[in-house]
Amino acid sequence: MVLQAVLGDLLVLDLSEGIAGPLCARLLGDYGADVIKIEPPGGECGRRMPPFFHDDPNPEKSLFFLLANLNKRGATLDLARPEGADLFRRLARSADVIVESFAPGYLASLGLDHATLEQDNPGLVMTSITPFGQTGPYSHYKGNEIVAYATSGIMTISGTTDREPLQHGGFPAQYEAAMNGMLATNVALLTRDLNGLGQHVDVSMQEVVASSLVINQPYYSFTGGVQGRRRPEGSSFGHVTPCKDGYFVSQEGGGVTWNGIADFFGREELKEPRFADPTQRLHNGPALDAIILDATKDRTMAEMFRTASEQYRMLFGIVQTPEDLATCPQLEAREFYQEVEHPVIGRIRVPFRMWNMSAAAASCRRPAPLLGQHNSEVFTRLGCSEAEIGTLRERGII
Amino acid sequence: MAIDKQDADRAATLPLAGLRIIDISNVFSLPYAGGLLADLGAEVIKVEGPGRLDVSRGGAFSGVFPENEPGEDPWNRSSTFNLLNRGKKSLAIDLRRPEGREVLKDLIRVSDVLMENFTPRVMRGWELDYPNAKKLNPNVIMVSCSGYGPHGPYAQYPAQATTQEATHGLAHVTGYRGEEPSKAGQSFVDFLATWALVMGTTLALRYRHRFGKGLWVDVAMYQLGCYMVADRILDWEANQRRGERIGNRHPWLAPQGCYPCAGEDQWCVVSVHDDAEWAALCRAIGRPELARDARFADNGARMRNHDAIDPIIAAWMAGVSKIDAMERLQAAGVRAGAVFDARDMHLNPHAKARGLLETVQFPAERGIGRRPVIGRPWRLSKTPLGVRGPAPMLGQHNREVLQDILGYDDARCAEMEQSGLLGTHPTTPRPVFRMSMDERVQRGRLAYWDPDYKERLGIQD
Repeated sequence: MVLQAVLGDLLVLDLSEGIAGPLCARLLGDYGADVIKIEPPGGECGRRMPPFFHDDPNPEKSLFFLLANLNKRGATLDLARPEGADLFRRLARSADVIVESFAPGYLASLGLDHATLEQDNPGLVMTSITPFGQTGPYSHYKGNEIVAYATSGIMTISGTTDREPLQHGGFPAQYEAAMNGMLATNVALLTRDLNGLGQHVDVSMQEVVASSLVINQPYYSFTGGVQGRRRPEGSSFGHVTPCKDGYFVSQEGGGVTWNGIADFFGREELKEPRFADPTQRLHNGPALDAIILDATKDRTMAEMFRTASEQYRMLFGIVQTPEDLATCPQLEAREFYQEVEHPVIGRIRVPFRMWNMSAAAASCRRPAPLLGQHNSEVFTRLGCSEAEIGTLRERGII
Repeated sequence: MAIDKQDADRAATLPLAGLRIIDISNVFSLPYAGGLLADLGAEVIKVEGPGRLDVSRGGAFSGVFPENEPGEDPWNRSSTFNLLNRGKKSLAIDLRRPEGREVLKDLIRVSDVLMENFTPRVMRGWELDYPNAKKLNPNVIMVSCSGYGPHGPYAQYPAQATTQEATHGLAHVTGYRGEEPSKAGQSFVDFLATWALVMGTTLALRYRHRFGKGLWVDVAMYQLGCYMVADRILDWEANQRRGERIGNRHPWLAPQGCYPCAGEDQWCVVSVHDDAEWAALCRAIGRPELARDARFADNGARMRNHDAIDPIIAAWMAGVSKIDAMERLQAAGVRAGAVFDARDMHLNPHAKARGLLETVQFPAERGIGRRPVIGRPWRLSKTPLGVRGPAPMLGQHNREVLQDILGYDDARCAEMEQSGLLGTHPTTPRPVFRMSMDERVQRGRLAYWDPDYKERLGIQD
């Protein structure tokens, strides 16, 4: 099947650093855009993020950097120097999208903000992904994963009442902000396809995480109720529970009755009204905990996942580790992984495909760029001669 | 309900103006995506059955009723349903009957996008999967959302976000340090799916615009969830590291944590990324000498001695409010954030200035009044977006869809109404869950509640 790349007509300049911005620009690249990553001559901070390939902290071996910068070419440019800013201004004339993650106001101080750049390029879309957005009293605040979690409201309902609020593991706020950056960029591009005008897209990581609270938020605006963390006891059913070789979680609903759930656990007493009746069950949490813990202590995750899902049609999850995901047959069937050949790391399999899309699926065409790898082709295209590029390099501008 | 002229003018300039989307959706992920596409200007027709209502119209996933009162038509009043389904039209038609599916086929012929989140076998069984939908409308875009995807060994497994967050790898890395895995919060992967569905739909629209053809967007929630731990999977692939639970600490920077502030259940997080930020923190908490302490001299030392740093930060936090802590630390250049709860999210000055929450005015006869709901976490400088109207009552637009869009005559519609193919009331209403606000607090379902919340929000009438 011949793939027709949805964004194959676009040039994207990626000035962003860290995870969310770079991943947003990469997603545009996954759907065909020509993405040029522009880093300061010393490399962006993402190159110093663990984990590293074979734990070697070489700036070309950050696995996070690899992940967030697939499908890009790489150039270096010191925007803080007038010659650097001028070169960027020239690049921006033919760009369709710029992705950036600087503190609000920084690009304006260099004369590189959207309002200035669009004077030479009215179709330019600029997407800014920042901790708190471009406006408002917290817009100058510094942020990161846990700050987004705390200020979005989600931490206040995560964890247990006897302990502190708990962030989620990993970097979900960064990934979610990348997704929202990409979709808001798509919206701006659809608008541009209609009227020819680019615009500035302002994505707030705090708001991205807050936007997932679709029970919590209107609970307050409809009743004044404020949710908190769950109580620690009486929670085996519907929460993570240990079994022989790990942990599982099961829920009511799906295609199963409560009696079916009792049969799955193999305990007749679960059919008694004190558990079968949802209201009575609320009062009998600790007793329910004890029965379920005993019923599953000799059963494995894999067996229960299969039996519950296939025979009982239960909503059932098991706590899978990264190793489990690396060998998961379902992810294999979804073509989740792609192999890339990286000049320093070598051949490596990376999680790649977010979803499937028949004739226009995401395509993996390039590994992450080495620092300044494509300087010559990027600046030659601007009309710089090899000698001029050499001078720029000597002066530390690229 | 007709939108007034000003709204119509504004809608005409929106990116999805003039597009019709069929939204056969349930619960959170796809309904929310449909609501966002309505914000972008599309005409979104939500299709439910009088005997198969969206689960979020009642029961565990529906949130609450205004003033905790179910009213005469509880299925139209739940908070979460009304947030997710804003700006849509409602067609309530029984798709289990072949006559109902004939109407759906007519609608597919005149629509741009068909969105659904059934288990994969349902649309296939009705011969309304993508290959069949394309026969009805060659350029149609189909958007499907399922638990595991239509193919592969887990394709037919029942799925829901709350159990999937274990299976897709998030629970393994979420939890207090060194303790058992924990579930994240509310249906986390549903919202990943929402973002992916809007990404996929907007890409597909651009694809159709450029190449003149539709396509199929196939989103599996499990796969998306796994993507959110991609860095951990790579760490396994390269270094055979399984990852661990570290609570509120940062995997490679220190210190970071969540500390109790003055007052009850008040918290603030702090995160230090480098030596300069550490020195700034030491000054801000009145312990400048610690910046020169060898135990905390660089990030590696701070990682090793994190346990010694926590009580020092905690001692300062205990004497200040969470807002003071955040403001003072941020002013000093230190990453910090108050742990906001639902009340804070409505009332803090930044949220107010940004306008993330938008107030929806419901028609007087619905008895809901004005209610703030989540808008969108992004702003476009030249395209002002907004929630375009309240969520519809069940079957509110049955006649409008059948007569105005499909051109059916009055007699045909009346016959469908009489036979129960169309409806505006559920055929078997769900039992309504009742519990007073005070009892919800007592049972631990709520931390607290504000009887005067309407005054606080300025929505008293």
